[in-house]
Amino acid sequence: MHNAKPIIVLVDDSDAMRTLFEQVAREADFELHAYASAEASLTFLDSNRPNLLVINVMMPNKDGYSLLKQLRANPLHQDTPTVMISSKDYAQDRVAARELGVLEFVAKPISKKALRSLIAHYVDGGGAPRN
Amino acid sequence: MSEAYLRFWGVRGSYAAPHETHLGVGGNTSCVELRAGDHLLVCDGGTGIISLGEELVQADELHEMLVVFTHYHWDHICGLPFFQPAFSPDWRIEFFGPGDTAADIERRLSDQMKAPYFPVETETWMADINYVEPHDDGMRHGPFEIRHFNVHHPGVTYGYRVRIADKTVVYVSDNEVQFLKTSIAKRIHEFEEDEHELLERMVSEQRSAELAAIENVDILIHDAQYTPHDYSKKRGWGHSCYVDTVNLAIDAGVGCLYLYHHDPTYNDDQVAAIHRDCLQIIAERKSSMECHIAREGLKVRL
Ligand SMILES: [Zn+2]
Ligand SMILES: [Zn+2]
Repeated sequence: MHNAKPIIVLVDDSDAMRTLFEQVAREADFELHAYASAEASLTFLDSNRPNLLVINVMMPNKDGYSLLKQLRANPLHQDTPTVMISSKDYAQDRVAARELGVLEFVAKPISKKALRSLIAHYVDGGGAPRN
Repeated sequence: MSEAYLRFWGVRGSYAAPHETHLGVGGNTSCVELRAGDHLLVCDGGTGIISLGEELVQADELHEMLVVFTHYHWDHICGLPFFQPAFSPDWRIEFFGPGDTAADIERRLSDQMKAPYFPVETETWMADINYVEPHDDGMRHGPFEIRHFNVHHPGVTYGYRVRIADKTVVYVSDNEVQFLKTSIAKRIHEFEEDEHELLERMVSEQRSAELAAIENVDILIHDAQYTPHDYSKKRGWGHSCYVDTVNLAIDAGVGCLYLYHHDPTYNDDQVAAIHRDCLQIIAERKSSMECHIAREGLKVRL
Protein backbone atom coordinates (compact mmCIF):
# COMPACT_ATOMS: atom_id res chain seq x y z
CA MET A 1 0.00 0.00 0.00
CA HIS A 2 2.92 2.39 0.62
CA ASN A 3 3.19 3.57 -2.97
CA ALA A 4 -0.56 3.85 -3.59
CA LYS A 5 -1.76 7.39 -4.21
CA PRO A 6 -3.89 9.02 -1.55
CA ILE A 7 -7.60 8.97 -2.30
CA ILE A 8 -9.84 12.01 -2.01
CA VAL A 9 -13.61 11.67 -2.26
CA LEU A 10 -15.72 14.71 -3.14
CA VAL A 11 -19.49 14.63 -2.78
CA ASP A 12 -21.00 17.77 -4.31
CA ASP A 13 -23.95 18.31 -6.64
CA SER A 14 -22.13 21.30 -8.15
CA ASP A 15 -20.67 20.35 -11.50
CA ALA A 16 -18.32 23.35 -11.30
CA MET A 17 -16.94 22.19 -7.94
CA ARG A 18 -16.27 18.73 -9.30
CA THR A 19 -14.46 20.33 -12.24
CA LEU A 20 -12.37 22.43 -9.85
CA PHE A 21 -11.30 19.32 -7.91
CA GLU A 22 -10.53 17.47 -11.15
CA GLN A 23 -8.32 20.34 -12.29
CA VAL A 24 -6.41 20.31 -9.02
CA ALA A 25 -6.18 16.49 -9.02
CA ARG A 26 -4.64 16.56 -12.50
CA GLU A 27 -1.63 18.53 -11.28
CA ALA A 28 -1.30 16.87 -7.85
CA ASP A 29 -0.60 13.34 -6.76
CA PHE A 30 -3.91 12.03 -5.52
CA GLU A 31 -6.73 9.93 -6.87
CA LEU A 32 -10.08 11.73 -7.00
CA HIS A 33 -13.49 10.10 -6.74
CA ALA A 34 -16.13 12.77 -7.33
CA TYR A 35 -19.84 12.10 -6.85
CA ALA A 36 -22.81 14.34 -7.62
CA SER A 37 -24.97 13.07 -4.77
CA ALA A 38 -24.76 11.43 -1.37
CA GLU A 39 -26.60 8.42 -2.74
CA ALA A 40 -24.10 7.98 -5.60
CA SER A 41 -21.12 8.07 -3.22
CA LEU A 42 -22.34 5.29 -0.97
CA THR A 43 -21.35 2.31 -3.11
CA PHE A 44 -17.72 3.38 -2.95
CA LEU A 45 -17.79 4.68 0.63
CA ASP A 46 -19.53 1.60 2.01
CA SER A 47 -16.26 -0.29 1.72
CA ASN A 48 -13.52 2.28 1.10
CA ARG A 49 -11.96 4.76 3.47
CA PRO A 50 -10.48 7.73 1.60
CA ASN A 51 -7.58 9.79 2.94
CA LEU A 52 -9.82 12.82 2.79
CA LEU A 53 -13.56 13.16 2.38
CA VAL A 54 -15.01 16.47 1.21
CA ILE A 55 -18.77 16.84 1.51
CA ASN A 56 -21.04 19.66 0.39
CA VAL A 57 -23.82 20.56 2.84
CA MET A 58 -26.86 21.46 0.72
CA MET A 59 -27.68 18.86 -1.92
CA PRO A 60 -30.97 18.00 -3.64
CA ASN A 61 -31.81 14.79 -1.78
CA LYS A 62 -29.75 13.58 1.14
CA ASP A 63 -27.83 16.55 2.59
CA GLY A 64 -24.18 16.49 3.65
CA TYR A 65 -24.88 16.21 7.38
CA SER A 66 -27.18 13.29 6.88
CA LEU A 67 -24.57 11.55 4.72
CA LEU A 68 -21.78 12.12 7.23
CA LYS A 69 -23.97 10.98 10.13
CA GLN A 70 -24.66 7.77 8.23
CA LEU A 71 -20.97 7.30 7.45
CA ARG A 72 -19.87 7.95 11.03
CA ALA A 73 -22.12 5.06 12.13
CA ASN A 74 -19.97 2.78 9.98
CA PRO A 75 -16.81 1.77 11.94
CA LEU A 76 -14.80 2.28 8.76
CA HIS A 77 -15.62 6.02 8.79
CA GLN A 78 -15.65 6.75 12.51
CA ASP A 79 -12.66 9.02 12.04
CA THR A 80 -12.29 9.41 8.29
CA PRO A 81 -10.73 12.87 7.86
CA THR A 82 -13.56 15.04 6.58
CA VAL A 83 -13.98 18.60 5.41
CA MET A 84 -17.44 20.15 4.97
CA ILE A 85 -17.84 22.67 2.20
CA SER A 86 -20.84 24.89 1.62
CA SER A 87 -22.25 27.96 -0.03
CA LYS A 88 -23.68 28.57 3.44
CA ASP A 89 -21.53 30.44 5.92
CA TYR A 90 -23.52 30.45 9.15
CA ALA A 91 -22.25 29.84 12.68
CA GLN A 92 -24.92 27.20 13.20
CA ASP A 93 -23.63 25.18 10.25
CA ARG A 94 -20.09 25.37 11.54
CA VAL A 95 -21.33 23.96 14.86
CA ALA A 96 -23.33 21.19 13.16
CA ALA A 97 -20.25 20.22 11.15
CA ARG A 98 -17.99 20.30 14.19
CA GLU A 99 -20.36 17.99 16.06
CA LEU A 100 -19.85 15.46 13.28
CA GLY A 101 -16.10 15.62 13.83
CA VAL A 102 -15.03 17.51 10.72
CA LEU A 103 -11.54 18.95 10.40
CA GLU A 104 -12.73 22.15 8.84
CA PHE A 105 -15.81 23.92 7.48
CA VAL A 106 -15.02 25.72 4.24
CA ALA A 107 -17.33 28.45 2.95
CA LYS A 108 -17.55 28.57 -0.84
CA PRO A 109 -16.08 29.83 -3.06
CA ILE A 110 -12.67 28.21 -2.72
CA SER A 111 -9.80 29.15 -5.02
CA LYS A 112 -7.46 26.61 -6.60
CA LYS A 113 -4.68 27.94 -4.44
CA ALA A 114 -6.71 27.52 -1.24
CA LEU A 115 -7.85 24.06 -2.30
CA ARG A 116 -4.26 22.97 -2.98
CA SER A 117 -3.13 24.09 0.45
CA LEU A 118 -6.16 22.52 2.13
CA ILE A 119 -5.28 19.19 0.56
CA ALA A 120 -1.57 19.56 1.31
CA HIS A 121 -2.49 20.30 4.91
CA TYR A 122 -4.66 17.24 5.46
CA VAL A 123 -3.34 14.64 3.04
CA ASP A 124 0.22 13.33 3.28
CA GLY A 125 1.71 13.57 -0.18
CA GLY A 126 -1.59 14.73 -1.67
CA GLY A 127 -0.30 18.18 -2.44
CA ALA A 128 3.02 17.13 -4.00
CA PRO A 129 3.22 18.17 -7.63
CA ARG A 130 3.75 15.48 -10.18
CA ASN A 131 7.06 15.59 -12.06
CA MET B 1 -63.86 18.53 -3.46
CA SER B 2 -65.33 21.40 -1.52
CA GLU B 3 -63.60 24.68 -0.88
CA ALA B 4 -59.81 24.89 -1.02
CA TYR B 5 -58.00 27.87 0.43
CA LEU B 6 -54.93 29.03 2.23
CA ARG B 7 -54.95 31.33 5.22
CA PHE B 8 -52.17 33.22 6.93
CA TRP B 9 -52.16 32.88 10.73
CA GLY B 10 -48.67 34.22 11.33
CA VAL B 11 -46.52 36.27 8.96
CA ARG B 12 -43.73 37.72 11.11
CA GLY B 13 -40.17 36.51 11.08
CA SER B 14 -37.85 36.08 14.05
CA TYR B 15 -40.20 37.01 16.92
CA ALA B 16 -43.77 38.09 17.53
CA ALA B 17 -44.46 41.81 17.17
CA PRO B 18 -47.90 42.52 18.66
CA HIS B 19 -47.57 46.31 18.54
CA GLU B 20 -50.42 48.60 17.57
CA THR B 21 -48.35 49.95 14.69
CA HIS B 22 -47.79 46.43 13.28
CA LEU B 23 -51.25 44.88 13.47
CA GLY B 24 -52.37 45.80 9.95
CA VAL B 25 -49.82 43.24 8.77
CA GLY B 26 -50.00 41.10 11.89
CA GLY B 27 -47.80 40.33 14.86
CA ASN B 28 -47.73 36.53 15.02
CA THR B 29 -44.88 34.37 13.73
CA SER B 30 -44.98 31.84 10.89
CA CYS B 31 -48.05 29.70 10.35
CA VAL B 32 -50.03 29.05 7.17
CA GLU B 33 -53.16 26.91 6.91
CA LEU B 34 -53.94 25.05 3.69
CA ARG B 35 -57.41 23.61 3.58
CA ALA B 36 -59.06 21.38 0.99
CA GLY B 37 -62.50 20.25 2.09
CA ASP B 38 -62.00 18.09 5.16
CA HIS B 39 -58.25 17.97 4.81
CA LEU B 40 -55.91 20.27 6.63
CA LEU B 41 -52.23 20.94 6.12
CA VAL B 42 -50.45 23.44 8.34
CA CYS B 43 -47.05 24.94 7.53
CA ASP B 44 -45.06 25.87 10.64
CA GLY B 45 -46.08 26.29 14.26
CA GLY B 46 -45.09 29.84 15.18
CA THR B 47 -47.35 31.86 17.47
CA GLY B 48 -49.90 32.01 14.64
CA ILE B 49 -50.77 28.35 15.22
CA ILE B 50 -52.25 29.18 18.65
CA SER B 51 -55.29 31.01 17.23
CA LEU B 52 -55.65 28.40 14.51
CA GLY B 53 -55.79 25.72 17.20
CA GLU B 54 -58.43 27.63 19.15
CA GLU B 55 -60.56 28.00 16.05
CA LEU B 56 -60.23 24.32 15.12
CA VAL B 57 -61.25 23.15 18.57
CA GLN B 58 -64.17 25.55 18.67
CA ALA B 59 -65.41 24.58 15.18
CA ASP B 60 -65.15 20.88 16.09
CA GLU B 61 -65.44 19.83 12.42
CA LEU B 62 -62.09 18.26 11.61
CA HIS B 63 -60.08 15.89 13.75
CA GLU B 64 -57.04 15.21 11.63
CA MET B 65 -54.18 17.27 10.26
CA LEU B 66 -50.60 17.25 9.09
CA VAL B 67 -48.25 19.96 10.36
CA VAL B 68 -44.98 20.43 8.46
CA PHE B 69 -42.08 22.47 9.81
CA THR B 70 -39.50 24.29 7.72
CA HIS B 71 -37.02 24.06 10.63
CA TYR B 72 -36.93 24.30 14.38
CA HIS B 73 -35.99 27.91 15.03
CA TRP B 74 -38.20 29.36 17.74
CA ASP B 75 -40.31 31.55 15.50
CA HIS B 76 -41.52 28.38 13.74
CA ILE B 77 -42.26 26.11 16.71
CA CYS B 78 -43.01 28.32 19.70
CA GLY B 79 -46.80 28.21 19.23
CA LEU B 80 -46.87 24.43 19.44
CA PRO B 81 -46.84 24.16 23.26
CA PHE B 82 -50.09 26.18 23.22
CA PHE B 83 -51.73 24.35 20.34
CA GLN B 84 -55.05 23.14 21.72
CA PRO B 85 -55.70 20.21 19.35
CA ALA B 86 -52.54 18.50 20.61
CA PHE B 87 -54.03 18.43 24.10
CA SER B 88 -57.35 16.99 22.94
CA PRO B 89 -57.98 13.23 22.60
CA ASP B 90 -60.29 13.97 19.63
CA TRP B 91 -57.40 14.76 17.33
CA ARG B 92 -54.99 12.80 15.20
CA ILE B 93 -51.97 14.95 14.31
CA GLU B 94 -48.99 14.12 12.15
CA PHE B 95 -45.79 16.13 12.35
CA PHE B 96 -43.03 16.37 9.79
CA GLY B 97 -39.86 18.43 9.44
CA PRO B 98 -36.10 18.19 8.90
CA GLY B 99 -34.49 15.08 10.37
CA ASP B 100 -33.21 11.70 9.24
CA THR B 101 -35.85 9.75 11.13
CA ALA B 102 -39.25 10.22 12.75
CA ALA B 103 -37.44 10.00 16.12
CA ASP B 104 -35.25 12.99 15.13
CA ILE B 105 -38.37 15.04 14.36
CA GLU B 106 -39.99 14.03 17.64
CA ARG B 107 -36.91 14.93 19.67
CA ARG B 108 -36.52 18.34 18.06
CA LEU B 109 -40.18 19.28 18.55
CA SER B 110 -40.37 17.92 22.11
CA ASP B 111 -37.19 19.47 23.44
CA GLN B 112 -38.68 22.97 23.69
CA MET B 113 -41.27 21.65 26.18
CA LYS B 114 -38.72 20.07 28.50
CA ALA B 115 -38.00 21.47 31.97
CA PRO B 116 -36.95 24.12 32.79
CA TYR B 117 -38.22 25.71 29.58
CA PHE B 118 -41.88 24.76 29.87
CA PRO B 119 -44.22 23.54 32.63
CA VAL B 120 -45.58 20.45 30.83
CA GLU B 121 -43.90 18.04 28.46
CA THR B 122 -45.30 16.43 25.32
CA GLU B 123 -46.41 13.48 27.47
CA THR B 124 -49.39 15.70 28.33
CA TRP B 125 -50.50 15.76 24.71
CA MET B 126 -53.70 13.73 24.55
CA ALA B 127 -54.05 13.67 20.76
CA ASP B 128 -52.96 10.71 18.69
CA ILE B 129 -49.59 12.15 17.63
CA ASN B 130 -47.45 10.64 14.89
CA TYR B 131 -44.12 11.72 13.48
CA VAL B 132 -43.81 11.03 9.77
CA GLU B 133 -40.85 8.89 8.74
CA PRO B 134 -39.00 10.86 6.02
CA HIS B 135 -38.63 9.50 2.53
CA ASP B 136 -37.49 10.98 -0.75
CA ASP B 137 -40.73 10.51 -2.67
CA GLY B 138 -42.52 13.13 -0.64
CA MET B 139 -45.81 12.75 1.21
CA ARG B 140 -49.51 12.64 0.58
CA HIS B 141 -52.10 13.96 2.95
CA GLY B 142 -55.59 13.49 1.54
CA PRO B 143 -55.57 15.49 -1.71
CA PHE B 144 -52.31 17.29 -0.84
CA GLU B 145 -49.12 16.18 -2.57
CA ILE B 146 -46.17 17.51 -0.61
CA ARG B 147 -42.46 17.62 -1.39
CA HIS B 148 -39.71 19.26 0.59
CA PHE B 149 -36.45 20.73 -0.62
CA ASN B 150 -33.39 22.27 1.05
CA VAL B 151 -33.14 26.04 1.27
CA HIS B 152 -30.36 28.46 2.23
CA HIS B 153 -30.69 29.12 5.95
CA PRO B 154 -28.68 28.13 9.05
CA GLY B 155 -28.89 24.38 9.76
CA VAL B 156 -31.07 22.09 7.67
CA THR B 157 -34.12 24.05 6.53
CA TYR B 158 -36.86 22.95 4.16
CA GLY B 159 -39.11 24.65 1.67
CA TYR B 160 -42.36 22.89 0.75
CA ARG B 161 -43.97 22.44 -2.62
CA VAL B 162 -47.64 21.55 -2.31
CA ARG B 163 -49.91 20.45 -5.12
CA ILE B 164 -53.61 20.99 -4.38
CA ALA B 165 -56.76 21.70 -6.39
CA ASP B 166 -54.77 21.94 -9.67
CA LYS B 167 -52.56 24.58 -8.11
CA THR B 168 -48.99 24.52 -6.91
CA VAL B 169 -48.18 26.45 -3.76
CA VAL B 170 -44.60 26.82 -2.55
CA TYR B 171 -43.86 27.82 1.03
CA VAL B 172 -40.35 29.10 1.73
CA SER B 173 -40.45 31.00 5.00
CA ASP B 174 -36.71 31.42 5.58
CA ASN B 175 -34.23 31.55 2.72
CA GLU B 176 -31.28 33.76 1.85
CA VAL B 177 -31.22 33.86 -1.94
CA GLN B 178 -28.20 34.77 -4.07
CA PHE B 179 -25.81 34.16 -1.16
CA LEU B 180 -23.04 32.44 -3.11
CA LYS B 181 -23.16 35.14 -5.76
CA THR B 182 -22.46 37.86 -3.20
CA SER B 183 -19.82 35.72 -1.44
CA ILE B 184 -18.00 35.43 -4.75
CA ALA B 185 -18.31 39.14 -5.44
CA LYS B 186 -16.86 39.96 -2.02
CA ARG B 187 -13.93 37.58 -2.38
CA ILE B 188 -13.18 37.85 -6.09
CA HIS B 189 -9.66 39.17 -5.32
CA GLU B 190 -8.69 35.69 -4.05
CA PHE B 191 -9.08 34.25 -7.54
CA GLU B 192 -6.92 34.13 -10.66
CA GLU B 193 -8.36 35.35 -13.94
CA ASP B 194 -8.61 31.78 -15.30
CA GLU B 195 -10.86 30.75 -12.40
CA HIS B 196 -13.58 33.28 -13.22
CA GLU B 197 -15.36 31.03 -15.67
CA LEU B 198 -15.77 28.31 -13.01
CA LEU B 199 -17.06 30.90 -10.56
CA GLU B 200 -19.65 32.07 -13.07
CA ARG B 201 -20.73 28.47 -13.49
CA MET B 202 -21.18 28.15 -9.73
CA VAL B 203 -23.34 31.25 -9.64
CA SER B 204 -25.49 30.02 -12.48
CA GLU B 205 -25.81 26.56 -10.92
CA GLN B 206 -27.07 28.13 -7.72
CA ARG B 207 -29.48 30.36 -9.63
CA SER B 208 -30.83 27.37 -11.58
CA ALA B 209 -31.42 25.45 -8.36
CA GLU B 210 -33.22 28.42 -6.79
CA LEU B 211 -35.38 28.85 -9.87
CA ALA B 212 -36.14 25.15 -10.31
CA ALA B 213 -37.68 24.95 -6.84
CA ILE B 214 -40.31 27.59 -7.65
CA GLU B 215 -40.57 27.51 -11.44
CA ASN B 216 -44.02 28.49 -12.73
CA VAL B 217 -45.75 27.88 -9.43
CA ASP B 218 -49.14 29.50 -8.96
CA ILE B 219 -48.46 30.84 -5.49
CA LEU B 220 -45.12 31.50 -3.82
CA ILE B 221 -44.95 32.44 -0.15
CA HIS B 222 -41.37 33.60 0.36
CA ASP B 223 -39.04 35.26 2.85
CA ALA B 224 -38.76 38.98 1.98
CA GLN B 225 -37.55 40.13 5.37
CA TYR B 226 -35.13 42.96 4.72
CA THR B 227 -34.88 46.26 2.89
CA PRO B 228 -31.64 46.64 0.87
CA HIS B 229 -30.29 48.94 3.60
CA ASP B 230 -30.94 46.45 6.40
CA TYR B 231 -29.79 43.52 4.29
CA SER B 232 -26.42 45.19 3.82
CA LYS B 233 -26.02 44.97 7.61
CA LYS B 234 -27.66 41.57 8.03
CA ARG B 235 -26.23 39.58 5.17
CA GLY B 236 -25.49 36.13 6.55
CA TRP B 237 -28.48 36.04 8.91
CA GLY B 238 -30.34 33.61 6.64
CA HIS B 239 -32.98 35.93 5.18
CA SER B 240 -33.57 37.63 1.87
CA CYS B 241 -33.74 41.20 0.76
CA TYR B 242 -37.16 41.72 -0.85
CA VAL B 243 -35.54 43.01 -4.06
CA ASP B 244 -33.84 39.63 -4.53
CA THR B 245 -37.05 37.77 -3.66
CA VAL B 246 -39.20 39.66 -6.15
CA ASN B 247 -36.63 39.32 -8.91
CA LEU B 248 -36.24 35.60 -8.26
CA ALA B 249 -40.02 35.13 -8.39
CA ILE B 250 -40.29 37.09 -11.66
CA ASP B 251 -37.44 35.07 -13.21
CA ALA B 252 -39.13 31.83 -12.15
CA GLY B 253 -42.45 32.74 -13.76
CA VAL B 254 -44.34 32.70 -10.47
CA GLY B 255 -48.04 33.58 -10.77
CA CYS B 256 -48.50 35.28 -7.45
CA LEU B 257 -45.95 36.17 -4.78
CA TYR B 258 -46.77 36.70 -1.10
CA LEU B 259 -44.07 38.67 0.74
CA TYR B 260 -43.56 36.79 3.99
CA HIS B 261 -41.52 36.57 7.23
CA HIS B 262 -41.75 40.34 7.74
CA ASP B 263 -39.12 41.83 9.98
CA PRO B 264 -40.59 42.36 13.46
CA THR B 265 -39.12 45.87 13.63
CA TYR B 266 -41.05 47.04 10.53
CA ASN B 267 -44.41 48.68 11.15
CA ASP B 268 -47.35 48.63 8.74
CA ASP B 269 -46.10 51.67 6.81
CA GLN B 270 -42.67 50.16 6.32
CA VAL B 271 -44.11 46.89 5.02
CA ALA B 272 -46.42 48.87 2.73
CA ALA B 273 -43.38 50.74 1.38
CA ILE B 274 -41.65 47.40 0.66
CA HIS B 275 -44.76 46.26 -1.19
CA ARG B 276 -44.92 49.46 -3.27
CA ASP B 277 -41.30 49.04 -4.25
CA CYS B 278 -41.93 45.40 -5.24
CA LEU B 279 -44.84 46.51 -7.46
CA GLN B 280 -42.57 49.07 -9.08
CA ILE B 281 -39.89 46.44 -9.79
CA ILE B 282 -42.55 44.19 -11.30
CA ALA B 283 -43.82 47.05 -13.50
CA GLU B 284 -40.30 48.04 -14.57
CA ARG B 285 -39.60 44.46 -15.56
CA LYS B 286 -42.91 44.34 -17.45
CA SER B 287 -43.91 41.25 -15.55
CA SER B 288 -47.51 40.14 -15.05
CA MET B 289 -46.77 38.56 -11.66
CA GLU B 290 -49.13 39.47 -8.84
CA CYS B 291 -47.53 40.46 -5.55
CA HIS B 292 -49.17 40.91 -2.16
CA ILE B 293 -48.22 41.37 1.45
CA ALA B 294 -48.90 38.21 3.45
CA ARG B 295 -51.17 39.61 6.15
CA GLU B 296 -52.42 37.79 9.20
CA GLY B 297 -55.99 36.63 8.60
CA LEU B 298 -55.76 36.90 4.81
CA LYS B 299 -57.58 34.04 3.13
CA VAL B 300 -56.76 33.11 -0.48
CA ARG B 301 -59.01 30.83 -2.50
CA LEU B 302 -57.20 28.10 -4.42
ZN1 LIG C 1 -37.97 32.22 10.71
ZN1 LIG D 1 -34.86 30.37 10.94
